[in-house]
Amino acid sequence: MQTITLVPKEQFKISVEAETITPDNFAGKSADEIGALVAFEGNAPRPLSELFDIKVNGSADAADDVKIEINGNVNRVKRIGEAMTAGLIMINGDVDMRCGAKMKGGTITIKGNADSWVGQEMTGGEINVQGDANYYVGAGYRGEACGMRGGKITVFGNANDFVGEHMCGGEIVIKGNAGIMPGVSNKGGKIVIEGDTDMPGSEMTKGTIIVKGTVKDLMPVYQREGIEAVDGVEFTKYVGDVVVDGTGELFVK
Amino acid sequence: MSEMVIKNATVYDPINNINGDMMDIAVKDGKIVDSVSGSAQTIDAGGRLVYPGGVDAHTHIAGSKVNVGRIMRPDDSRLNNKPRTKVTRPRTGYTVPNVYSMGYGYAEMGYTTAFEAAVPILKARHTHEELEEIPIIDKGGLTLFGSNWMVMDAIRENDLDRLAAYVAWGLLSSRGWGVKIVNPGGGEAWGFGKNVSGLDDPVPNFEVTPRQIVRQLAEANEKLNLPHSIHLHCNNLGKPGNYETTLATFDVCKDIKSKRDRQSLHVTHVQFNAWGGNHWGDFESKAEPIADYLNKNDFLTIDMGQLVFGSATTMTADGPVQYANARLLKARWSNGDVELEDSSGVTPLEYHPQSYIHGIMWAIGLELALLTKDPWQVLMTTDHPNGGPYVNYPMVMTMLMSKKRREEEMAKIAEKTFERTSIAGIDKELDWYDIAIKTRATHAKVLGIVEHGKGHLGVGADADIAIYDIKPDETDATIEYNKVEAAFRYAAYTIKGGEIVVKDGEITATPKGKTFWVKSTAPADGHERMMEDLKMKFKKYYSVSMANYMVQDEYVEHPYVVETGYQ
Repeated sequence: MQTITLVPKEQFKISVEAETITPDNFAGKSADEIGALVAFEGNAPRPLSELFDIKVNGSADAADDVKIEINGNVNRVKRIGEAMTAGLIMINGDVDMRCGAKMKGGTITIKGNADSWVGQEMTGGEINVQGDANYYVGAGYRGEACGMRGGKITVFGNANDFVGEHMCGGEIVIKGNAGIMPGVSNKGGKIVIEGDTDMPGSEMTKGTIIVKGTVKDLMPVYQREGIEAVDGVEFTKYVGDVVVDGTGELFVK
Repeated sequence: MSEMVIKNATVYDPINNINGDMMDIAVKDGKIVDSVSGSAQTIDAGGRLVYPGGVDAHTHIAGSKVNVGRIMRPDDSRLNNKPRTKVTRPRTGYTVPNVYSMGYGYAEMGYTTAFEAAVPILKARHTHEELEEIPIIDKGGLTLFGSNWMVMDAIRENDLDRLAAYVAWGLLSSRGWGVKIVNPGGGEAWGFGKNVSGLDDPVPNFEVTPRQIVRQLAEANEKLNLPHSIHLHCNNLGKPGNYETTLATFDVCKDIKSKRDRQSLHVTHVQFNAWGGNHWGDFESKAEPIADYLNKNDFLTIDMGQLVFGSATTMTADGPVQYANARLLKARWSNGDVELEDSSGVTPLEYHPQSYIHGIMWAIGLELALLTKDPWQVLMTTDHPNGGPYVNYPMVMTMLMSKKRREEEMAKIAEKTFERTSIAGIDKELDWYDIAIKTRATHAKVLGIVEHGKGHLGVGADADIAIYDIKPDETDATIEYNKVEAAFRYAAYTIKGGEIVVKDGEITATPKGKTFWVKSTAPADGHERMMEDLKMKFKKYYSVSMANYMVQDEYVEHPYVVETGYQ
């Protein structure tokens, strides 16, 4: 087991693009070697050792034996854990956009809040956000045909608008409320919202959305299919979006 | 001034009948010369392959629809990103690269000239602003005339002189090189949500047929003695069974005679127009009858429009076909209306080898190139970025050169493809000389820029030279296709106008290229009648005034003007 602890040296004012912070990149490396990896602060390339205090305990041969712990405020650090395949990242605070983007495996736990596009286009692995998440949880980035394709995202707080936009697979669970239009343009996957939301699933062609709280507004593009029980609880089932010949399933209380 | 000599080059220069001869090439002041002094800069090619700089006669590299493609596809601009270097700007994009990357990408492959194949006059200023900023390569634009009100009115009134005068004026206004016709009449019909169904289906409100548009524009083209023939995108593109329309369209220009040593009709991206069947269910290749026609007739040339699997952004002045595509594939769609001139559409899509439709399209392009006997008649293009981005040219070259390479690709393609095409049974493999024809010599000849120093290495030609890191006499392209593709993808040297712009695949200099355009005289009385009509149209219909319409010289900072005249 290799544990790497990163502590930011300052409160970053300019955003840092830190896609190099992944278990895959850190596995088996010493503190100096990790410190030599580069992240961009604004348009300036900087070695991680200039941005973080780095401590390494133990060693590992592969990413699945690596744990990265980030202490302190990284709310201006983007793309942590991008495309990681295994291992564990623990962020004890808030994190900036696109955390866990395109990740394929492993686990990211965020103790604070996550900014937009957490788990963007991820294909596997697991992300837990213990605070709130901002816009586009598990969505595709601008213009992308497919958002999340696999894996699981759990948000214990609330999420903002467009949860799982363009989602093609995987699962998103929002324990709190979600903003407008979760699952817009969905092509697969499952979204569970335990709180309230608004206008779920427009342009959905496939996939499942379950809303356990209140739906303030239902888009008039869904056909009512009757009452169906999901895990012992009865929901009204709708199918649509009929405008795009969709067969997506929407369960509303 | 600057002198250079390339020693020990294995040269293929089809226009000068040089077929793999070991020779030296001397360059002085940006031109090829007989000999240079002893102090000239020397490049030792060491027996490596040397071609004239590549020429692309049909590509979409600039203008409003390319920009629409960029706006529609932020996902594309995340591909192929490269940071700036000391000489290059940052690069983004795969199917619709940013403006600078367009030039770098061509130069890397040893290409030095590319012609934008669809310029509406109304949007020509924008096109030239972009062309001017595309570094390194020489450029030109083909101006759209196929659905133009001025053209159709002149044709209906059977006034060929007026039509010729308008073509001359349109080329001047757009600083264009040749006459492009896209789905003749269809662009206008699309303004009313309709299309024309074939050569004899009259255009709504104009009562002229596509047949008349093609025929009369071809006649006007020859009256003006333009360097390039008409450049035609046929009706019914993208519909199963369209090969019959294509063959009938060839016949329309059969007896047109050109005074120049070139074809009298160029039909473009024929892959999209050589489709059999009645619907998608019995869709099949009809490349054979097209190739037969080409083998029997030498008045026309075509280009492949080869399909490349993966991402593409289709963009064309054929508005209705793009609407159909977007509906069929549930894809994004953008539609454009160019006032009195044409329409346009942009739709991104993905070509999948598992789809037999796409498999058959892939096969048709190669069949056209391989079944046609005369290599000068079929140009290698992908109709960038409609069939696939131009960076795949090296791959297409190896597919033409190696049956084994084709078989490797066929293994990935849906089985049904091979019942409905003949690609599996074609053994033909092109050699280095044929590839030089298909990628530079015939492009230059078809465009009519050989006499302006393009596409060959004869004395007096522009010193546009590509040196590839491969020795033809030691390489069997039919087997070592990966090596060949790698060599074609990144040239060892690209020399543009006597300056080394690429060395070992890296851009080393970014000079500005020229823009070719044609200035033609027209008969005085035809011109007078035309101006009268034009002034009326500007007053009544256009959203801009004539003074704000024409491209001014400020937009074309590096012009190369060719003058020609009414005969």
